[in-house]
Amino acid sequence: MPSFVLYLVRTLFPHDVLRPTELGADVMIVATGVIIVYVLTKQKKWLYLWREWLTTVDHKKIGIMYLIAALAMLFRGGVDALMLRTNLALPNTPVIDALEYNQVFTTHGTIMIFFMAMPFIFALFNVAVPLMIGARDVAFPRLNAMSFWLFAFGALLLNIAFVIGGSPDAGWTAYPPYTGLAFNSGPGENYFFLSLLIAGIGTTMTGINFLVTVLRMRAPGMTLMKMPMFIWSALTTSALIIFAFPPLTVAMAMSLFDRLFGSSFFTLAHGGLAMMYVNLFWLFGHPEVYIVVLPVFGIFSEVVATFSQKALFGYTVMVISIVSIMVLAYGTWVHHFFTMGAGPGVNAFFGLSTMLIAIPTGVKIFNWIFTMWGGRIQMTVAMLYQMAFIPTFVIGGATGILLATVPADYQLHNTYFLIAHFHNVLIGGTLFGLLSGMYYWWPKMFGHKLNERQGKWAFWLFFWGFWITFGPQYLLGLKGMTRRIYTYPAGFGWHTLNVISTVGAFVMGAAFVVLVYSVVYSLQHGEKDLTGDPWNGRTLEWAIPSPAPEYNFARIPVVHERDAWWDMKQKGQTLASMRPEDMRTLELPRNTPIPFLLGFAFFVVGFGMTFEWWYIVALGALGVVATLIYSGFDYDEHKHIAATEVLEIEAGLGRVQG
Amino acid sequence: MSQRLEFRPEADDAVNDEGEALRFMRPHFGEEKFPWVQIWGYVGSLVLTFAALILVVDHVLPPLALLSVILTLAVGQAALQLGVFMHIRESRGLAWQMIFLGMVLLMGVGMVGMSIWIMTFKSGVS
Repeated sequence: MPSFVLYLVRTLFPHDVLRPTELGADVMIVATGVIIVYVLTKQKKWLYLWREWLTTVDHKKIGIMYLIAALAMLFRGGVDALMLRTNLALPNTPVIDALEYNQVFTTHGTIMIFFMAMPFIFALFNVAVPLMIGARDVAFPRLNAMSFWLFAFGALLLNIAFVIGGSPDAGWTAYPPYTGLAFNSGPGENYFFLSLLIAGIGTTMTGINFLVTVLRMRAPGMTLMKMPMFIWSALTTSALIIFAFPPLTVAMAMSLFDRLFGSSFFTLAHGGLAMMYVNLFWLFGHPEVYIVVLPVFGIFSEVVATFSQKALFGYTVMVISIVSIMVLAYGTWVHHFFTMGAGPGVNAFFGLSTMLIAIPTGVKIFNWIFTMWGGRIQMTVAMLYQMAFIPTFVIGGATGILLATVPADYQLHNTYFLIAHFHNVLIGGTLFGLLSGMYYWWPKMFGHKLNERQGKWAFWLFFWGFWITFGPQYLLGLKGMTRRIYTYPAGFGWHTLNVISTVGAFVMGAAFVVLVYSVVYSLQHGEKDLTGDPWNGRTLEWAIPSPAPEYNFARIPVVHERDAWWDMKQKGQTLASMRPEDMRTLELPRNTPIPFLLGFAFFVVGFGMTFEWWYIVALGALGVVATLIYSGFDYDEHKHIAATEVLEIEAGLGRVQG
Repeated sequence: MSQRLEFRPEADDAVNDEGEALRFMRPHFGEEKFPWVQIWGYVGSLVLTFAALILVVDHVLPPLALLSVILTLAVGQAALQLGVFMHIRESRGLAWQMIFLGMVLLMGVGMVGMSIWIMTFKSGVS
């Protein structure tokens, strides 16, 4: 028995996870856990938590849970970034050693892409898409909850790696042979593949769900060409997800087979083809960057029209360009590995296809500027992010064109120039857009605005912090500094620029602190949104109260024009003047614990497989199958809200006549 | 107050909030006592999968023939999945679906074809 315990302790807590940073994190995790449990018990909130949140299928609540998860992950990924930057500012006295540095940059990239950007996007999809198209929920509400819990437990699996068993350390791209068993035997990479596989199932289901939602759930009269741009971005993003995630799943599963079952798809020995992994990964990876940026294009299209008080310029062209970006996104993936040496024919083809994407993207940039032209611009925080996005993203795009030039790429590949480029588009594009969307839809989620003054502080800190961090990195790249090094010799002329870059990183850290403070402050003191339309909005989500009632729309509106709510306001119409006899009994999805249990069962499978404890895997798999079978025969998946009850709620909100 | 407390979207006389009949929206689900088609489809997809696996693992054919055969099997697999599990024969508006299916075909052929093209390089660094 004691030998068994010894085995367990050695496996779960190897030397890797007993460094001061990890032990410090252990203390914080346990302390936070104890505080949460204490508060929930003290306030008797456990049942509330289970009934209202863990079992919910309401798209608005799922959106809020995604948002909380994304902000928590932004914190984790940000702390990782600060650790990396601290090390690079002090090359003579590294704070963390090479192995830990590898683990931290791997976790930073993985978390920021898969567990921060993706859930943040799904948060805004969930919150805004059904409301914008005048629907009562998404097409498959239970599937939506399953998506969330698979994501959440997948994220949990990756996040416990650094305190239990050891982190992955082969980069967020997880190339073989770094991930091969021959060179990397710990559980870290198993954690990586399994967490991405589990979260990937959830993401694929989200893609299917929102594709069907947009195509089938729109309010009567909302033809495709009357949809808000954000809905177009949700549609194209969903299509990208459905095509892009299968190659990732295949690549992850094959790598996992190589590690667990002795296959040799990507090994160096036995005829494995490591380059095929690279091909499969980027077959996913390139559409992925559009998955995280197209929704942001949609958000900016809404934000710029609302705060310029002017219809979006060139709507039709915007639609054509977003659809062309979607199609072109599939034809560019080789630009991530020009240096693999596939030959001039291949490289020239993919270099040109990459440059081609700049055309529709440029069209969009001009259209946003023309939307502002002659408009009455309100400098809200959401709009500030939009204004900062345009120049930042243009520079990021231009450096992308430089990298797409094959001969230049042979020089710039894997240097800090590349790092600066993709942070330029991912922070200047994705993160700025997501924060803009968060500020824009916050009143609709919570019923109050975020404090604008504090928001502007956070914005300026983010903006300058970003440029101070990544401006110098372009220069470092040109000076030949490669990525993923934990220290460097003196005399290369890299030190000063690295110190400046690190200062910028801490400025962005300060921006995050201000942001969180502002969120907490606004929960108490935020300006209440009593009208449901705090920004003088244009689309249907602003036609209903904030926060939206459970059923969203007491009556589904009829759409006649693009920018339906703006059109109604121009004609003096409202959705808030219904008569009692207009009320109908509404059918809504019923809460269910199945998604949560399914996610948990997948977590058990993932955890067991990470350590190759097959009995635990079998137990978890049994749980997965049982939950799915139970769900398949659970016909009691709807509930009804009686017309009288709808009337009572609407009257309480002052939205009923007579 | 509401006349219809009972909400039955599947009924023949179901209407939406505007009083329009929803009957035309109902998909034509093939209803059977027991899902034999799906079971045979499942068995068929397993057969196709294992056929490809065995062909590759046992090196039965020379490379070019092997590649052609497993690609053919893959196309058969895709057709089977679409026909049996994706309810493609039961939908309204097949014409619309053909546009999207054509798109899917283009993407699929593009991804597979270009991957083969990319991976045919033989030299070292060019």
